[in-house]
Amino acid sequence: MSVDRRSTVLAFGAARYVTMSLIALVLLLPLVWLVVSSLRPPADIFAQGSRLGWGMLIPDRLTLENYTSLIGTGFPRAVGNSLFVALTTMVVGVIINAAAGFAFAVFDFRFKNVIFAFVLAAAMMPFEAIVIPLYILVQSLGLIDTYAALILPDLANGFVIFMFRQFFAGLPRELYEAARVDGASWGHIWLKIALPISWPVVLTGGIMLFMHQFEAFFWPLVAAPSPEHTLVQVAIARNISLEGTEWGRLFSSTTLAGLVALVPFLLFQKFYIRNFVTSGLK
Amino acid sequence: MTDRAAAPVAASEAPRLARRRSADPMQPRTLVLLAFLLPALAFLVLFRLTPIVIAIGGSLFTQNLAGETSFGGLTNFAQLFGDERFWNSLKVTLIFNIIINPLQIAIAFGYALLVMVPGRGITFFRAAFFLPMTLSTGLTAVLWNIMLDSNLGPVNAILEGIGIGRQPFFLSEHQALGTMIAIATWKGCGYWMIFLLAGLYRIPGELYEAARIDGASRWHQLVHITLPQMRRPLAFVFVADTAINFLFFAPVYIITKGGPNGATDLLMFRAYENAFTFINWGRSLALSTIILVIIGVIAAIELRLFRDKEGAEA
Repeated sequence: MSVDRRSTVLAFGAARYVTMSLIALVLLLPLVWLVVSSLRPPADIFAQGSRLGWGMLIPDRLTLENYTSLIGTGFPRAVGNSLFVALTTMVVGVIINAAAGFAFAVFDFRFKNVIFAFVLAAAMMPFEAIVIPLYILVQSLGLIDTYAALILPDLANGFVIFMFRQFFAGLPRELYEAARVDGASWGHIWLKIALPISWPVVLTGGIMLFMHQFEAFFWPLVAAPSPEHTLVQVAIARNISLEGTEWGRLFSSTTLAGLVALVPFLLFQKFYIRNFVTSGLK
Repeated sequence: MTDRAAAPVAASEAPRLARRRSADPMQPRTLVLLAFLLPALAFLVLFRLTPIVIAIGGSLFTQNLAGETSFGGLTNFAQLFGDERFWNSLKVTLIFNIIINPLQIAIAFGYALLVMVPGRGITFFRAAFFLPMTLSTGLTAVLWNIMLDSNLGPVNAILEGIGIGRQPFFLSEHQALGTMIAIATWKGCGYWMIFLLAGLYRIPGELYEAARIDGASRWHQLVHITLPQMRRPLAFVFVADTAINFLFFAPVYIITKGGPNGATDLLMFRAYENAFTFINWGRSLALSTIILVIIGVIAAIELRLFRDKEGAEA
């Protein structure tokens, strides 16, 4: 390699790292500021946090006050609600979507292609597009302001059914045939053979269902207006529109809600990215 | 439950309903089939299909001031089309989408190209580029609403400190939509980066080797190999991104409520306000129908892309 060529490669590499670092700064500093602010005594938040200088990011004093004072507010209840709704959706959703995916992959039945096309169409329609007519439907079922209103509409998911179908269709048919010949029921085959092998899809689909519920805003805003059923995203958003916002608590509650969504993602990102992304591109 | 229903004994008395010979052990009894399919399908029909029917049907009914509904045909649509706020909202929604979708995909593609080649610390950069995505749209709005606050926000403190001066951001008719686009882009690009990275890794390495032997420059390789090979993944994320951004709602609700002076009055927020503030369901459903038609067109384009791809691979 000539000296000339080597120096362009070096310059290119340096430019690449400088660019990446600048982007990372823009993306990460707001998050760092959020977490740092949540750990400041309320009196310091804007005195220090919004005065130009190192104090913006490096606090004088640290305290958990903003976190402990959340206990007396509606926030713990909202977190509990969100976790309950998201976990229930995750467990029940994985079961019913995996079952449907299995049927599409293994069974032969009339109108299968038409029904599957409907599932795909449902997968492509974003949930938010139907929030208002869904409200009318759920209201006529008498379910507004119940956990059922929050959970039921989000259980069946066309995309999760699609992922399970792709996975189960990829397994060798002899696997099922052998079990059938041995006299195993379909329910047994699905629960004891197919589902355990499909654990990467179970994880991916489960996380998708969990995240969709945990991060939902529009539907829980209108479907569950009372404080008993308020979900965490709505609870936080409501806090900023109230007079005399407690900024410290706003930071601590936002940090906590962000962390809850981050944990499952960090734990399982490998499977999530592999399954979700490749099934989207295939 | 399904265990017992599918027991081999039961299989003999089986269903004429099953399409193939009932003796075929690979064919489930109808009851078993329904047990697998019905829960998910029933929910999809009830909570996905029925709302679409309600939107289209309900958009044909009007309400008088007493709250009584009567069939009004296309009255709701006629009123919408005669309403300046609707046209403003449609204009704002289109401008928002025409800017944000190419912008997000271009930046996401830039991210993907930057972190594609392994190197020191590259895992850190990948994680950093993705991290804002894990914050929900609602929390992103809450965070940036404070960051950009005209008195208390650190961004304005910095702008003032470096001599640019304080900016109104969400309080200005001229800056609000752009600021909305900026915060959504801050959050959203990392997500599409992941899809584009997967696409980049599928490009056969031989193509680049051949080009390198021919002495092609990096720029040349990008334009003549990477871009043509990435056409489908790029089109896919572009369409998917558009479907999401047409329904942009939470930050508008949380920060601007459509203002100032209609500058961020996106269609989804218009539909919300008509339903829950003005309690005009007919008009809100007419808006929902229009949104559904737009989403339908986007989905049709998406399907076409999928079909093209299958054809190309077969």
